[in-house]
Amino acid sequence: MEHDPRRYRTPLWVDWCPGCGNYGILQAVTETLAELGLPPEKTAIVSGIGCSGKTPHYVYANGVHTLHGRAIPYATGIKLARPELTVIVEGGDGDLLGIGAGHFVALGRRNIDLTVILHNNQVYGLTKGQASPTLPYGVKTKSLPKPNIQDMINPLALAIASGYTFVARSYALDIKHLKSVLKEAIRHRGAAFIDVLQPCVTYNNVYTVHFYRKALYRIEDEEPDWDPIVRSPDEETEKKAAALARAQEWGRRIPLGIFYVNKTRSPFEHRIAARNPLYAEHPPANRLSREPQQQPPYTIEEVMSIFKDRLVKVKTRNARRSGIPSSRDRSPEES
Amino acid sequence: MSMDKPPPPLMALIGGPQGAGLETSAQVLTVAYATLGYRVLASREYHSNIIGRHSYILLGVDPARVPRGHRYPVDVASFMDAESVFTHYKDVDRGSIVFYDSDVDNVSLERIVSMETETKRRLRRELEELGVEPTVVGVTKYMKSMGVEVVGFSYRGLLSSLRREYGIGYAEARRYISMVVAASVAKLTGLSLEELEEGLRYRFRSRPALVERNMAVARRVYSHLGNVAQIALPEPQEPPDHYMVMTGNEAVAIGKAVAGVGLQAYYPITPAQDESFYMEAHEDQTGIVVFQAEDELAAIAVATGAALTGARAATATSGPGFDLMIEGVGWACINEAPVAVTLYQRGGPSTGLPTRGSQEDLLDAAFAGHGECPRIVVASWSHEEALTDAVEAQNLAEEYQIPVIHLLDKFLANSVATLPPPMTTSFQIRRGSIEPRPGSDYRRFALPGPVSPRAFIGDAVMWYTGDEHDEYGHITEEPETRIAMVKKRFAKLDEAARNIPEEGVRLHLYPEDADPSGLDMLIHSWGTAARVTAEAVDMLRRRGLRAALVRVHYFSPYPSRLLSSIAAEAHQAGARLVNVEHNYTAQAAKIAAMKSGVVFDTHVLKYTGRPIYIDELVEALMAIHEKGLKEVHLGHGA
Repeated sequence: MEHDPRRYRTPLWVDWCPGCGNYGILQAVTETLAELGLPPEKTAIVSGIGCSGKTPHYVYANGVHTLHGRAIPYATGIKLARPELTVIVEGGDGDLLGIGAGHFVALGRRNIDLTVILHNNQVYGLTKGQASPTLPYGVKTKSLPKPNIQDMINPLALAIASGYTFVARSYALDIKHLKSVLKEAIRHRGAAFIDVLQPCVTYNNVYTVHFYRKALYRIEDEEPDWDPIVRSPDEETEKKAAALARAQEWGRRIPLGIFYVNKTRSPFEHRIAARNPLYAEHPPANRLSREPQQQPPYTIEEVMSIFKDRLVKVKTRNARRSGIPSSRDRSPEES
Repeated sequence: MSMDKPPPPLMALIGGPQGAGLETSAQVLTVAYATLGYRVLASREYHSNIIGRHSYILLGVDPARVPRGHRYPVDVASFMDAESVFTHYKDVDRGSIVFYDSDVDNVSLERIVSMETETKRRLRRELEELGVEPTVVGVTKYMKSMGVEVVGFSYRGLLSSLRREYGIGYAEARRYISMVVAASVAKLTGLSLEELEEGLRYRFRSRPALVERNMAVARRVYSHLGNVAQIALPEPQEPPDHYMVMTGNEAVAIGKAVAGVGLQAYYPITPAQDESFYMEAHEDQTGIVVFQAEDELAAIAVATGAALTGARAATATSGPGFDLMIEGVGWACINEAPVAVTLYQRGGPSTGLPTRGSQEDLLDAAFAGHGECPRIVVASWSHEEALTDAVEAQNLAEEYQIPVIHLLDKFLANSVATLPPPMTTSFQIRRGSIEPRPGSDYRRFALPGPVSPRAFIGDAVMWYTGDEHDEYGHITEEPETRIAMVKKRFAKLDEAARNIPEEGVRLHLYPEDADPSGLDMLIHSWGTAARVTAEAVDMLRRRGLRAALVRVHYFSPYPSRLLSSIAAEAHQAGARLVNVEHNYTAQAAKIAAMKSGVVFDTHVLKYTGRPIYIDELVEALMAIHEKGLKEVHLGHGA
């Protein structure tokens, strides 16, 4: 039963437009959770705002639908406080690369064990089709009054430059491919990023299903020896350069697959544990028990010992003269 | 006005350029006094600058209790440089002692490059009016003529002998000037060399060579001051076995550890950053994860995310950072997520006075954010209360599943006080309603509330959303559910108001036994301003004016009933209703009018970023009493 993907769906009616690429992503996510046998209570899907933001409500696992752009920081808090959880971030292109770009970059620097799925349809769907940060310069989708005058961000290049240690691209309608990449991403220990290209049937009449069918290809089909994995630090520069070069390709031919994997960088959780010896056994979520009423974690002696750098022992002048450590036990008249 | 000197019995001022070791001097002195059993309050005024601009520290020393504020004129002033002499020549008076570098005698005001143009212009004007030559020697002569004892000491002479003796360069030798300053204050207030050494040993714990060299400097200063009269300090009364000498930042950090906080997320900002820094320094012993986020938008989100898993989580910031957090506070509100925000107020708007204090963010803390977002707002007035409120903020956040804003200010954040170690046995951890065995039909927002039993991500399945939601946490726009959920969230405040007493918790009357119907003046205040006001109340009472302080501790849930009954009684008896705050717009008085209908129509306000001093406050309150002034704006302090 645990492996039945239907168990990972909530009974809610899915209110995306018919034909939306999000359906493919949702199906891939629930099937992947099922196939990996991830317990719903130990899994969290964290989203931002926009059409993709509703994804967590359709998945039977913990769902945290956050603020515009902030899915990564909420997910960070969940993961750091309870590292046993599997935490997946789902955000749109405007969410992750526009309003949330700072967080996107910061996650790379930290290499926290999160999986970030970019629902990349190049438009702001829920506000009726404005250009997103991934829409190329000069393109006019149907709801834009004029062609786009901003350049596009290359999500893969940005992820690689930021320090993500797993970087891949897939396609929302190729569920088999997306699932296989997603499984690798979830298994990867560190910050994983998947750029999922996704047609918006309502507002993006340029990057359509028809367009993608012609343009997409898999890297391994063109380069059978493609090996994106950094296994020792000295391979990093070369593999990064190859991934960045491949990531430049956009237009008539668009590559899919795993671009870059670095297994030599430590995940953030290990970095915390290295300097915080209590972290592994007592992560923040387990610092206190579940008892509604309890004693503080420290006695007064422990507080004095932990914060001894602020502790001053009193030696009054009288005590100096008489050898008594303090005047506390004496009456005011005497002191 | 009578001539009674406000407490504390000893006020010392040390001044010098930022980065020259003034904090070391203050720490050495504070610990030396504390070791003897004295209570100390030391606060620092500084520019947004790392090296070179003028800064100074005020130390209040009291045998009986931690000073509730500072006062002018100071009894002892010790200066590192010429700029300090010009800046503080009016902060001393008859009977004060000034110690300074006699090598800068001929330095003129115009030559002080680090001084702000406006300050220079003001001082030039002042000195001209007094007929004082704008040089250090001119100013010291003036001070002498006012009855101040001025003692010069050749810093250059000391430095060159240090360089010879230790074979060190000029820059390294200069560092010992901080010891000159500390030693001069110590000697002039009657500390023996051994007593001073206690402070040095604390400061340079692991470096005995530094203790020895600094003691050599101290001996030179002591012998130079051999014949100068000392200011006598009464013996300390019933000191505890130990003090903890901590800033407000550190008090909150320790409070959070005692409260069982598991994760603190922050972004560096003055004057909040030292709290997180201190927590990080003790991370390996407490296990608290201190996370430096990329901005405050992330800081509150990380903390909130952690809270959803069952961790106690917190963040700390000041005004500009709090502005960025507001959307996150709203998310925590609608998701009933327990998150505590420590907000240290500084001068605004915008970057404003980034290193100076204020009480300008009360309305921001209480009301900021779109939509209607219930929250608890607690404002501490002392270091001790900062610590206990940091614990209580965590308890309230979890008990009511609501964001808690803990308001402090720069004055508390950066000032050092001597406290007894916190009696942790008197604290309790209250986590509120927790669902022991959440099933597969767990509803995080189960109605009617207001507090639904909480389960944590990792133990059950639940949903959260910033949208209005149903009991499961799924999006809904159904009007009936909307009504139920809005009422559920606001009912938390009603419940909190029922459980948290007004008298002595949300509202404090000082003196506790004051009879509101027998008052000449009822003074309303909050936070550090209220603490100075309590001292002023004591002074006014000594002068025969029947004054009392009513201090608001909780701005939400607000102590409406008690405040209005106290104010009504006082008003009926003919008392003047006065309000004291660190801002221009009398924010707490506005909340009082709004929530309890009490109108405090006479105001003492200060918004220079410098603390309210006891002497200027007493003078203002006396003027209000005697002349019926309606508004006094204070401005003392360099």
